[in-house]
Amino acid sequence: MKRSVFAFALAAAVAAPLAAQTADPKAVKPKDFPTQPIEYVVVYPAGGGMDVTARLLAKYVEKATGDKILVNNRTGGAGMVGHSYLATQAKPDGYTVGVLANLVWGDAMLRAQGKWAYTDLEPIGYLNSDALTWVGPTEGPLKGKTLKEILQIAKDKPGTIRVATVPGSMWEYLVEQVEAASGAKFLRVPFQGGGAGINALVGGNVDIAQGFFAEFRGHLDAGKVAPLAVASAERMPYLKDMPTFNEALGGKDYIWAVVRFVVVPKGTPADRKAYLAAGVRAAMSDPELVAEYRKAGVYFDPALVNSARVADDLNRYAERERAFYQQTGRLK
Amino acid sequence: MGALEGLATGFGVILTPANLYYCFIGSLVGTLVGVLPGIGPLAALALLLPVTFTLTPVAGLAMLAAIFYGAMYGGSTTSILVNIPGEAASVVTTLDGHQLARQGRAGAALGIAALGSFIAGTASLVLLTFFAPALAAIAIRFGPPENFGLMVLGLVCTLYMITGSAVKGVLTIALGFLAAAIGIDVVNGRDRFTFGSVNLTAGIELLAVVIGLFGVAEILANVEHLARNTLVAERIRGLWPTAADWRASWRPILRGSGLGFLLGLVPGGGPVTAAFMSYAVERRIARDPARFGKGAIEGVAGPESANNAAVGGSMIPLLSLGIPGNAVTALLLGALVIQGIQPGPLFMTQRPDLFWGVVASMYVGNVFLLLLNLPLVGLWVQLLRVPYRFLFPIVLLLAVVGTYSANKNVFDLWVMLGFGVAGYALRKLEYDFAPFVIAFVLAPLLEQSLRQSLVMSPDGAMILVQRPVTAALLAASAVLVGLMLRRKQRSKGGST
Repeated sequence: MKRSVFAFALAAAVAAPLAAQTADPKAVKPKDFPTQPIEYVVVYPAGGGMDVTARLLAKYVEKATGDKILVNNRTGGAGMVGHSYLATQAKPDGYTVGVLANLVWGDAMLRAQGKWAYTDLEPIGYLNSDALTWVGPTEGPLKGKTLKEILQIAKDKPGTIRVATVPGSMWEYLVEQVEAASGAKFLRVPFQGGGAGINALVGGNVDIAQGFFAEFRGHLDAGKVAPLAVASAERMPYLKDMPTFNEALGGKDYIWAVVRFVVVPKGTPADRKAYLAAGVRAAMSDPELVAEYRKAGVYFDPALVNSARVADDLNRYAERERAFYQQTGRLK
Repeated sequence: MGALEGLATGFGVILTPANLYYCFIGSLVGTLVGVLPGIGPLAALALLLPVTFTLTPVAGLAMLAAIFYGAMYGGSTTSILVNIPGEAASVVTTLDGHQLARQGRAGAALGIAALGSFIAGTASLVLLTFFAPALAAIAIRFGPPENFGLMVLGLVCTLYMITGSAVKGVLTIALGFLAAAIGIDVVNGRDRFTFGSVNLTAGIELLAVVIGLFGVAEILANVEHLARNTLVAERIRGLWPTAADWRASWRPILRGSGLGFLLGLVPGGGPVTAAFMSYAVERRIARDPARFGKGAIEGVAGPESANNAAVGGSMIPLLSLGIPGNAVTALLLGALVIQGIQPGPLFMTQRPDLFWGVVASMYVGNVFLLLLNLPLVGLWVQLLRVPYRFLFPIVLLLAVVGTYSANKNVFDLWVMLGFGVAGYALRKLEYDFAPFVIAFVLAPLLEQSLRQSLVMSPDGAMILVQRPVTAALLAASAVLVGLMLRRKQRSKGGST
């Protein structure tokens, strides 16, 4: 069975999602650019999901354009240091490119104190997404229970089901949404990342963990965790049997995913911006890169893959997030 | 597949010229990274990560892993020679290692550190070879309450690192806690003591603190009177450990190996904790604890073995479960993911070639490192003859480069400088720094595990006695504090 899931992923990978938009970067290459290596800024530590995404992208952009790209991890403040650097300090000359996740929006809205806004960074290409998924145990009293059944327990006996969360992030927002809609009450155990929560689930220290496919796939294959629901608009290609939160709970707003994209600082010359964007597009239409990304367990959001105006569409997602912050009183 | 059969497969994989070459390169780079203060294994791994794209998974991982454990070999070198730790895990080695160098016995300290590293590294690999899956199953059950117990025990061990006044020592521990509180609160995500500064939201960088307190402050203190001299006035006596050194060291090496291995295994542990807990153990059980801090060879042998054994231990959750216990193993995991391999519980059965190949490469790498490090002892000792006015600008330059390379953030350099000046002032006032650094490392884990435990517990603080491992660790901590107080009492009684 596992092999068939894998075969499916591979088959899907062959049909590159961006094939329709292929553009030759050489055709739009400015005469005077680039004359030195281009820096891809990653705001999280080397070796993490975001870093792997950026390094793979760099490899294929280099292949498509022949330019030299350096991936640089400007870390600190859970991404805040790098985000501020890109928005306020980096020169908008085309030599600095940010490979970011949508977590930059929360930083801009809740933590930047008006010093910068997400619009100071202009998106030039979409890469991939990872939807937040809930997984439960495969032994003990919750074994084999669906999300609905677990929610009922959390409603009847409030505060008995332990859920791993990451404070001040979408992990927490999703729990809040589910609690508000279902009347369930969880015991929220804070961790510093999704992976730590999943380890706690496998070790029997929490009852539900939230994470991304790549984070729990190993344990899933070994039968140590059971998928409950995914916070995306559609079911995951790798786990067709797992419902979405929207299906399981009858809503439409249970959508929390890491969306990865590429930006340049506002004010980058139009010709250089177009060239950098063409490089990203060329890389993303390479079936090999798409296959590599799929191996990491990501999915491609069709609304963004086929978008003619990625920047506008991403900004619309950002505004949806702002609405949630305003509704929940996080933002005035 | 049995362990021996697996290991045979692994050696079959690794004993090719190409794989041996990359394992050697990793050992060499690791040694250099360890020796150079400021430049840590994490920065080196990040730098070399792209190189592994073009290698086979086993060659790439063998090289990166060798950098990790190689750095633990090299880390002691500058701790001993110039009182500046090459890595955070070698902070405690400065306490006795540098005193030995000042007595002209740098060669003995370096030799014991290298041999201890080799013995501990290999012993931890033997344990990994035979017990990896079983140990991983235990390690994963180690939850927040168990971590809390371990951190409390760690905190008690910090007390053994105070060499001078007890009051001043406890004060520096408290200051370490305060400094660690800066940044985003791990439980509810609020900013603490950041004063609106973006740079402070992640807290203060450990590397900048270590390099500032030890590197910059040490240089400031030395240039006062050493500008025209070499660091060690004593004649350098003997390049190798004596028979007496061996007799004193072999037990600490074995104890350090066991302790370090266990601490590497669990999520709250790692090389730094392993090294200083080993120091605490050696000082606790020594017949004459007063020798510690004045050049006791056991104070080098134990910790330097422990930090190497911790590397072997920390590879177990990574290779058996795909769980990285620290930033370095997280990077190794990333390297595997880039290669299209997702380590998890099935990694060992699905990719035995890779699992055993990496394990075998670590046996080979440890031999490389011993062969590299022993001849180097003579060379390093000669470094002490270099006039300090030539030596300190180089060390300072490395400190700046290394600190900057960790996060590429200039703010860290100001932190380094600030801690350098503060460290210089504190040194004049005879305060110890090592307890500060250890408290700074322990505090976030201590706080997080306690608050997680309380949140997940149905009966509040009772969870700390209901979980047997936690209860045992807390009881051990209480006994140690009790013994310490009694000794204090007795020495007071004796003096009157």
